[in-house]
Amino acid sequence: MTTHSLPPVAIAGCGAICAVGSGVEALKSALRDNASGLHPSERFDHQRYQSSVVGAVARNGAGADDDDPAWSFATEALRQASEEARDILESIPPERIGLVLSTTKANVEAMERLTDQRPCSESARRHLQGDLLAADLAAAFGASGPVQCVSLACVSGLLALQQGVKLIQRGVADAVLVVGVDHLSAFVVAGFSALKALDPLGCRPFDRDRCGLSPGEAGAATVLVRSATVSITVATNFRYSAVATIPSPPLEERVRERRPFPAVVIRGWGSSNDANHMTGPSRDGAGLALAIRSALNSAQLQPEAIDWVNAHGTATPYNDAMEFQALRNVFGASCPPFNGFKGMVGHTLGAAGVLETILCALAMKERLLPGTPRLKTHADGAPASLVQVPRSASRLDHVLKLNVGFGGINGALILGYE
Amino acid sequence: MWASAESTVRSFSAMNDLVVTAASLVTETDLSSSRLGPRSSRLDLASRLALLAVESLASKFDTVPRDRIAICLAATAGSLSTDVEYWKGWALVGGPSPTLFAYTLPSAAIGEIAIRHRLTGPNLCFVGRDAELLAEARDLLYRGEADGCVCVSCNIITAEAAELIQSSPVITASAVFVTAGGEGHRV
Repeated sequence: MTTHSLPPVAIAGCGAICAVGSGVEALKSALRDNASGLHPSERFDHQRYQSSVVGAVARNGAGADDDDPAWSFATEALRQASEEARDILESIPPERIGLVLSTTKANVEAMERLTDQRPCSESARRHLQGDLLAADLAAAFGASGPVQCVSLACVSGLLALQQGVKLIQRGVADAVLVVGVDHLSAFVVAGFSALKALDPLGCRPFDRDRCGLSPGEAGAATVLVRSATVSITVATNFRYSAVATIPSPPLEERVRERRPFPAVVIRGWGSSNDANHMTGPSRDGAGLALAIRSALNSAQLQPEAIDWVNAHGTATPYNDAMEFQALRNVFGASCPPFNGFKGMVGHTLGAAGVLETILCALAMKERLLPGTPRLKTHADGAPASLVQVPRSASRLDHVLKLNVGFGGINGALILGYE
Repeated sequence: MWASAESTVRSFSAMNDLVVTAASLVTETDLSSSRLGPRSSRLDLASRLALLAVESLASKFDTVPRDRIAICLAATAGSLSTDVEYWKGWALVGGPSPTLFAYTLPSAAIGEIAIRHRLTGPNLCFVGRDAELLAEARDLLYRGEADGCVCVSCNIITAEAAELIQSSPVITASAVFVTAGGEGHRV
């Protein structure tokens, strides 16, 4: 038997539009300032909703009446990410570029408009369906390779990144555009409001007085490519025949040459299901702990190797308490520093995994241990390593990113350097 | 993952073919005679049909540890049919149903299947056709992320949802349970 290893996959480009602005520089600034983009919105008044505080993208002029915000946010994020990775993408045939879309509601704006008999374009109607939105995004950005639309509640983004890596490692693509998108809608805010899951004051992850989440909206995109430090010996009987044709060394050399610092790579992942409740987390954290252990196993790492955990941190009482328990289950009394980003950008649902992973990657490059915006008083039971305000980090070699979602789904992703 | 490549290749080579150990196909009319229990009346149509499709596979689950069984689902038009039902509540006093809101996700049926059969392994859900399901199941087994995979295809487009997306109504669900070995139909 000839041995082989699967190629690590690097993040070659990032783009985002969300409550703290558009572009990676806006994200970096928010990371440094521990900023929050959550504000009351006239669109979601207290008369009808439990809270008016949301993480909204600034929309002015014509954009304020956009009938296809999912398309607008996704294309802006993809434009930014593709621009950063332009030299690499231009060297790859279109049929070797794939796209994975992560979304929970795609362009649900169209359903609201059609129900209310308001104007709605045919493309906006078409983008009610995530797979068609994904296909149109792929066509617009020259990706004629494999296209997928992943939708797993609030874990969608992490699973989409995982799928992007898998497509590259299976040899069916050399690069994959992974884009997460969800937009604020009466549909979603009314649902969380009906569940009494919103914090009237805006979410306060891991805070003693936390009492709910704040919905957000975003488009977030990454360009995934085979990493520069690939060493592959291919097994001749490997099922995915296309893998036998890789690697093309010039691609990996270009990935290495264009950076003054090592690229961030996706080292491993894990997912699990609580099999317990549709909307509430299991109290013992066992499901999330299983996902974390699976991710550590896939990355061939021990828990001590994790330098920072970016938790899901919805700021609902039960979710945050469950995460404390899961972290204790895995790390014992030596929990690494951990934080949450939803006080910065809100809960961006299908975009959350991609957007928060981008924030993690930027923090790694900045050697910054990010804080937890809007956290004032540490929650009872929180591990002492909870990070409230940003500080410089001596080491961020391995970062664990967590998301959990309705349906009991848990996801964990591990980032490292190439 | 990378360091254990040899063992994963070996195990993958030993399972050149996926083995379908059980399969089922159900339609809306099958729901009337189903025995899913009282809880099922609270579920959306997609979850009830998916549960029913998986029900006849359940006897095979005992061949694999429950935390090693993955669930992969493909949902045509996502959760649009449930979305339409939920959104009708917007015009009502009291607003939309919080119970139904939990099912306005394409992946909702995964949660119900996991709860009913205590399956705690990995999950994956695609919006769109089911063409990729077996490939993804194969990948999960190959990488050692799971030892068995429940693949579910939900084609749920009610008449109202069909009108919204200018499509044709369809209400069916099918499921297969695949493993890397054992008795069954090789694919």
